[in-house]
Amino acid sequence: MLKKWTKHKQERLKDKLFIAMLILPAGFLLCFAIFIPIVKSIYYSFFDYSLLRISEKSFTGLANYFDAIKDGDFFTSLKVTLIYVFVVVVIEFVIGIILALLLNRNFKGRKIIRSVVLIPWIVPTIVVALLWMWIFQADYGVLNYIFVKLGVLSENKKWVSEPDLALSAVMIAALWRQLPFMATMLLAGMQGIPTSMLEAAKIDGAGRVQLFFRIILPFMKKVINTVTLVAIIENFKMFPMFWIMTGGGPMDRTTTLAILSYRTSFVELNLGKGAAIGVMWLMLLVVISVLYNKLFSDKESEGMN
Amino acid sequence: MEKSIDKRSEKIISIIALILIMGFLILPFYWMISTAFKDNSVIFRLPPEWFPLKPTLDNFRKLFSEPFFLVYYKNSIIVSMGATVVSMVAAMFAGYAFSRFKFKFKNQFLMLILSTQMFPVISLLIALYGMYSKYNLLNTRLGLVIATTTASLPFCIIMIKGFFDEIPISLEEAGKIDGASRFGILFRIIFPLSKPGLLAVGMYTFLLAWDDLLYALTLVTKDEIRTLPTGISIRYLGELAYDWSSVMTVSVVATVPILVLFLFLQKYMIAGLTAGAVKG
Repeated sequence: MLKKWTKHKQERLKDKLFIAMLILPAGFLLCFAIFIPIVKSIYYSFFDYSLLRISEKSFTGLANYFDAIKDGDFFTSLKVTLIYVFVVVVIEFVIGIILALLLNRNFKGRKIIRSVVLIPWIVPTIVVALLWMWIFQADYGVLNYIFVKLGVLSENKKWVSEPDLALSAVMIAALWRQLPFMATMLLAGMQGIPTSMLEAAKIDGAGRVQLFFRIILPFMKKVINTVTLVAIIENFKMFPMFWIMTGGGPMDRTTTLAILSYRTSFVELNLGKGAAIGVMWLMLLVVISVLYNKLFSDKESEGMN
Repeated sequence: MEKSIDKRSEKIISIIALILIMGFLILPFYWMISTAFKDNSVIFRLPPEWFPLKPTLDNFRKLFSEPFFLVYYKNSIIVSMGATVVSMVAAMFAGYAFSRFKFKFKNQFLMLILSTQMFPVISLLIALYGMYSKYNLLNTRLGLVIATTTASLPFCIIMIKGFFDEIPISLEEAGKIDGASRFGILFRIIFPLSKPGLLAVGMYTFLLAWDDLLYALTLVTKDEIRTLPTGISIRYLGELAYDWSSVMTVSVVATVPILVLFLFLQKYMIAGLTAGAVKG
């Protein structure tokens, strides 16, 4: 009895050791390159810390935060970021769900089309940026040519360098790359709806529109929550598209938080202020995610009642 | 009668909608490829040449004769492959632990791992830069491998955990009775069964590492360590007049490795991503 018990204990100890060994590689990497840096970065945000004198740091309390807010840069770039994220994610979701509905129909060659749809998603972001810069090119770009020929535009536009158009230009490029992924995920969620449920609704006389709003959308709520939240977070972080296409210009009209914090930290070399911007950004994102998840779960309980 | 007209018009509308969306997704891709095969004298012509009348390989020849380009390409391949291998191993181990064992704070750990996705990369870089310079990882491919691995690792762990969850535990118990060790069970029983999941994880990491601009831009300043995205951005941007056929050529060449991988592995990739996103 006792022997059995000690053996059992020994096995459990071995289990623990095994678990530790399994988690060690990933744990080490994540600590080294993510958890320790984020803690350090939060710590730096309270110091006057510059890349020019990396060994000298002096505690300045909230000075970096006040500095970032006082500039006004923080709020302008926050506004640009929020507009960019909101517009891209909403359009992406609407077109994505339309595309998913279309691809969910029975037609010849739908398998091939479903793969072809994914192509933009595997094109590297920097290539997407370059490709759209070529399409948007002011004098020889194909978009201006077509739009002027069709009479949509009266003259060539400098898409990427005109203050009022630059952000839309980046949005279109981002949308092009991200739409395939969104549509594919939504399609996967749609395919998880039991056909019996759809059949039953049809027998009850539900029309197409009713079927979509009463059955399909509610059923896909969890998928929609996940993929749109992923899209929000990814777009909040978007850096390459802006850096390559506009660099934050013209006149800071496309300076997002990602561009602002990069510029502050690695161009102006003010690491403390850059860190402070990062901390405010992180807090904002945490609040947004919590509220977003709450929004979805509240609706669920309403539906249950 | 009315109903059949309704159905027909619905069909026509959906075909038109599908063509419009597909056109938006495919035509730019076509434009990139066709520009790469055009001579520079042709691409500035209006109306544009919709189809390259005299396709030329000159742009590709020029590109592959540039020594710096080959260096960037090689670096990108090394870094992406390195990140892929490391994250496959690390994610397999960690995912297995999270799928099969109960331990304290397991769910909290998972939440913490997922929450890393929210961290602004630049915040990490501010501290990582100093750490890298302390450990001599600046301007090294190893440094880039570590950085890009950790960027993809959180989602990889969640993704592969999903795959492990699907493998019946009875298979392992059979192995235990046969006296296989814990690592023996993992490598001989679980590993072969989770190949689709591992491929999905690998492809996802490769894609992310190949795409990385931000880490490479900050952690590498030496030309011989640069990867494609930073290399391209430094060589081809910033001049007033772009050599668009060259830019599109390097774009095509930068896309090809992923396109090839995707053609072979898309089945696993889509299964892995949908499992991760739909369940998680």
